[in-house]
Amino acid sequence: MAESAVAQRRRERATESWREFASNRGGLIGLILLVIVVALALLAPVLVPLSTLDVTQVTAMPNEPPSGQHLLGTDPFGRDVLGTLLWGSRISLLVGFTATLMSMTIGTTVGMLAGHFGGWVQQVLLRVIDFFIVIPSLVLAITLSTVLERGVWTIIIAIGVTSWAGTARIVRSQTLTIESRPYVERATALGAGDGHLLWWHVLPSVMPLVLANTTLAVGSAIISESTLSFLGLGDPTVFSWGSMLKSALDTGSATAGFWWFVLPPGVAIVLVVLCFTLVGRALEAVVNPALRGR
Amino acid sequence: MELEWRDVSIAYRIRDNDGPRSLQAVDHVTLKIPSGGTVGIAGESGCGKSTLAMSVLRLLPKTSTITGDILLDGQDVSSMSFGQLRAVRWTEASIVFQGAMNSLNPVRKIRWQIAEALELHSKGSWKDEKGRNARVDELLTLVDLPVSKAESYPHELSGGQKQRVMIAMAMACDPDVIVADEPTTALDVIVQAQVLDVLTALVRERNLTLVMISHDLSVLASTCERLVVMSEGRIIEEGPSAQVMGNPQHEHTKELAAAFPTIGDPSSRLRVGRAGVTSKPSEPDADGRAARLEVRDVTVDFSTRGSKVRAVDHVSLSCAPGEIVALVGQSGSGKTTLARTILGLQQPTSGEVFVDGKPLPRRRKALRDYRRRVQFVPQDPAASLNPKLTVYEAIAEGLRIHRVPDDERERVAEALRQAELEPPERFFGSIPQELSGGQRQRVVIAGALALRPEYLIADEPVASLDASVRGEVLALLLTLKNTLGLGALVITHDLGLAWNIADRVLVMHQGRIVESGPVEQVLLDPQHDYTKTLLRVVPAGVTRDVNRGASRADG
Amino acid sequence: MSDAVPSALAPHEAVTPSDEPIRGASLGRYLATKALGAAISLLMVVVLGFFAFRILPGDPVLSMTRGRMVTPEEIARLRREFGLDQPLVVQFGRYLADLTRGDLGTSFFYNAPVSRLIAERAGSTLLLTGTAAVISIVLGLWLGQRAAWKRNSGFDKATTGLALVFWSVPTFWLGLLLLMAFGGPLPTGGMITPGLNATGFAYVVDVARHLVLPVAAMVAVTYAQYLMTMRSSMLEEMTADYLTTARAKGLNEDGVRTKHAVPNALLPTVTIIFMTLGHLIGGAITVETVFSWPGLGYLTYQALSAPDLPLLQGTFVVFSSIVVIMNFLADLVYRVLDPRLKAA
Repeated sequence: MAESAVAQRRRERATESWREFASNRGGLIGLILLVIVVALALLAPVLVPLSTLDVTQVTAMPNEPPSGQHLLGTDPFGRDVLGTLLWGSRISLLVGFTATLMSMTIGTTVGMLAGHFGGWVQQVLLRVIDFFIVIPSLVLAITLSTVLERGVWTIIIAIGVTSWAGTARIVRSQTLTIESRPYVERATALGAGDGHLLWWHVLPSVMPLVLANTTLAVGSAIISESTLSFLGLGDPTVFSWGSMLKSALDTGSATAGFWWFVLPPGVAIVLVVLCFTLVGRALEAVVNPALRGR
Repeated sequence: MELEWRDVSIAYRIRDNDGPRSLQAVDHVTLKIPSGGTVGIAGESGCGKSTLAMSVLRLLPKTSTITGDILLDGQDVSSMSFGQLRAVRWTEASIVFQGAMNSLNPVRKIRWQIAEALELHSKGSWKDEKGRNARVDELLTLVDLPVSKAESYPHELSGGQKQRVMIAMAMACDPDVIVADEPTTALDVIVQAQVLDVLTALVRERNLTLVMISHDLSVLASTCERLVVMSEGRIIEEGPSAQVMGNPQHEHTKELAAAFPTIGDPSSRLRVGRAGVTSKPSEPDADGRAARLEVRDVTVDFSTRGSKVRAVDHVSLSCAPGEIVALVGQSGSGKTTLARTILGLQQPTSGEVFVDGKPLPRRRKALRDYRRRVQFVPQDPAASLNPKLTVYEAIAEGLRIHRVPDDERERVAEALRQAELEPPERFFGSIPQELSGGQRQRVVIAGALALRPEYLIADEPVASLDASVRGEVLALLLTLKNTLGLGALVITHDLGLAWNIADRVLVMHQGRIVESGPVEQVLLDPQHDYTKTLLRVVPAGVTRDVNRGASRADG
Repeated sequence: MSDAVPSALAPHEAVTPSDEPIRGASLGRYLATKALGAAISLLMVVVLGFFAFRILPGDPVLSMTRGRMVTPEEIARLRREFGLDQPLVVQFGRYLADLTRGDLGTSFFYNAPVSRLIAERAGSTLLLTGTAAVISIVLGLWLGQRAAWKRNSGFDKATTGLALVFWSVPTFWLGLLLLMAFGGPLPTGGMITPGLNATGFAYVVDVARHLVLPVAAMVAVTYAQYLMTMRSSMLEEMTADYLTTARAKGLNEDGVRTKHAVPNALLPTVTIIFMTLGHLIGGAITVETVFSWPGLGYLTYQALSAPDLPLLQGTFVVFSSIVVIMNFLADLVYRVLDPRLKAA
């Protein structure tokens, strides 16, 4: 009976959180758009077979302006811009999600440990966090992706390894806040050990924050991916929004005024990042009522 | 200058689960304070007393609406233009905020903050900076602060000093009305007495009109001629201080008054709560009994920034089963550190803690067994329960940590029943936020009881509770002592609490136990100077002459 | 008990140790801690700068020669040239010794000392990022505090909405757009007009014209973050009790905002600004690339497209060191701004 009451309460709380989230119009619109974008990315192979984007098989002229056949025109190689855009979304989202997952895992672990333990463990971890916060992460990511083998995974690692420090900082301060609460003292007096405290008291309080932060971080990771690809550090064998913009710069599309090749990838990035930001802010407000309306 | 509320109602627009609605903070209040009158407004948190006080200068959030008239010297504050209002603020009426809180700007010097008020309402000699500086110096002297403090930032001052700065600031423009909003809350009793002395002396000397807000009836009674008791936005009782304190009419006032028992009054000795739970004093000689919690010569040092601070200084004490020992001291006396040491949360620098003659182990596993026997009741029940865990989980936590093999549900239900939360099943699925303050403290106590301990260490168990709940929780402690034979070490700053429930009392000061013995002996016939000081400064309501200084009546 | 205050005040206050103010650490101690932290970070930069290019799975020479036809002899020669045939410890020792002399190695691409290349370009990067930083800080802070003060107003919604959009824009893309839109009337590349040989005021105007687009691109993306930070710390301060005190004194709303709320809200914002200096540098790399601005960012881009590992390593060490040192300075500034950190 108690269990079902608990389950019911959990459901009620979930419903309430959802209602709180949905009351934020920006967050809701962002979420809907993201669902559409993810669906399109997953359906790309069906909608635009890869063969139609093969340079050796294309029939269209390069840099064709938008027309009925090519809604967004063609790129300098005669490929359909809309098709490459669709395929590019797969890489952007994949890198965005995976790199964020990596950086969140590192950040949460390091943050919790740095907050929970004192002494030299804390000293060392704090220094490392400080270092990674201060250091220009793009420069480090560039370094890593130059040295490592080109590829999607290199980009993921380069972003994941350089962007966790902010999360670690937030998680650490949340850990400190939680651990200064009397209920942790009470649990310690009950005889709880490190594992019990971290698992039962710290982690549940940190997770919502991490979740909201994750959503925001996916946006940043997507920007980082496009930046690295733009600098020519991406995987040359796959399409990505960043590499599209790189070829736009390299082939002089911008100065030549081929707007249909310069605008769409950028607009796609802005749209997706903005959606993640809006969803993240809405989640933050659900998680932290003090932020509501900010 | 006369101050009058004429049929005033104040409502806030708030949003909650039921959507936007209106919250009536003040409900048709009519109150008149003659020029030079001093009135104390008492009530529990949320009773509308602060809203009423802030309405004098219309310092209410934009979401509030005021109906009725608030007359300051015959002018209606609620209908003034903003310009008129600003001119009235601080020159005719000023407010002494709770200085211990964030009421002073942390990045501005004291001189700047006081001079700002002078500059805004500059007249006469305050027109130039020199005149203002002289005035600031004069004001600081008035509240007995050295002039050099003007160059300090708020964080460089102690709580008592900050509160004096707040008073000096309130006096800056020679107002006729002073509103003091919880001016001494969060201050130690001794500092509280000093601050109240400064305030009352100024009020009397300058024939000011004073409105003082507090949850503490005795503080109000010792400073104000008249008392007004509020509850749920309404005035429920009003009259001369001595009458309200000595012969409260309303049930709620009685509860408020009981929260500050008169030391020496036999009717409140070992008797608390609505039901009047009583306890037989335990036999003074408890030596013959089995288990005994003992602290022998414990010292705890902290080193901060190279300098060593001795928080606990060679303290010895003991507590027998079925005995309630009160450890009384002001904040900073080391009493909480001592409690933490007894619980094994803090390593003593020297000395040891014994249960049954066995020393408190330092190894983690052995310490765990010890912790089953000695349980902790922390100060603030709202914060002592993880908001994410249900009551059931919170109580079962100890059982799970200790892997108690018994039926968990059974033990949790038993603990809830012992803590008088019945029927227990009703509370299983609740989350702490749904419970009242008193219920939460019962849940915390139940969490301790679930492990069937022999002793409870309670750190200020009622300090954060409203007065009406205080009695209930203290009564529960007495009941547990009577029925389960629990021993308890209750740490408190409140001498009244010791008088209410303790068998023995220990007075702690600067890390040392300066006086100890049976409650009657220590509190009615104190030997040590510090104990005497403590007893002298406790605002004892009616037993003390309103014109401070007269000796208090004993027993 | 007629006049003033009771006499027994002073001794009583002495018996309550808890009623003590909080004291900050002494200046010396504060400086020492911060300096030590910065020194460790610098050391970590140096170490990372070395090892990132040696022991990571990629072979530096192979990645340098990627995509080109090279003979095994050439590879061996390159290895020798970079001292890669030596044991790692020897390499590290040599690297450290060179660093202390200010020697960052020789660029493969330019065939010139890396330190000289960096020194030549540092000035123009400083000009670009400095100008962009000042403008975005002023703009961000001002808009942020206004938006917070009028929370949920039309102004607030418009400014934060716009900031969120700009925040989502990749800097380099915005650069491309500006290039497309204003490429005619304004110069689109470099720092000076080639062949103009302008001097004096004309030179300043020429450089300023070249600055407009890259600065605009950087400001647009950076100010948003400062705006959001300032706005939220301002919102945090807006519920503070000392604002009620200020209002009670008769201060008008402008006074409450500028004299009380803003100085307090600035403190956390300043920390964030300095902490995100690294982002500004990240922005500089792409903006300089788009506008061929002859600075360190463009140099980095050239280094990584070559790829020229000694040069890349040099820019990494220099960029990171600059940021570490700026953060150290920020800690000093912060101490001046926040009296709570000062010695009692």
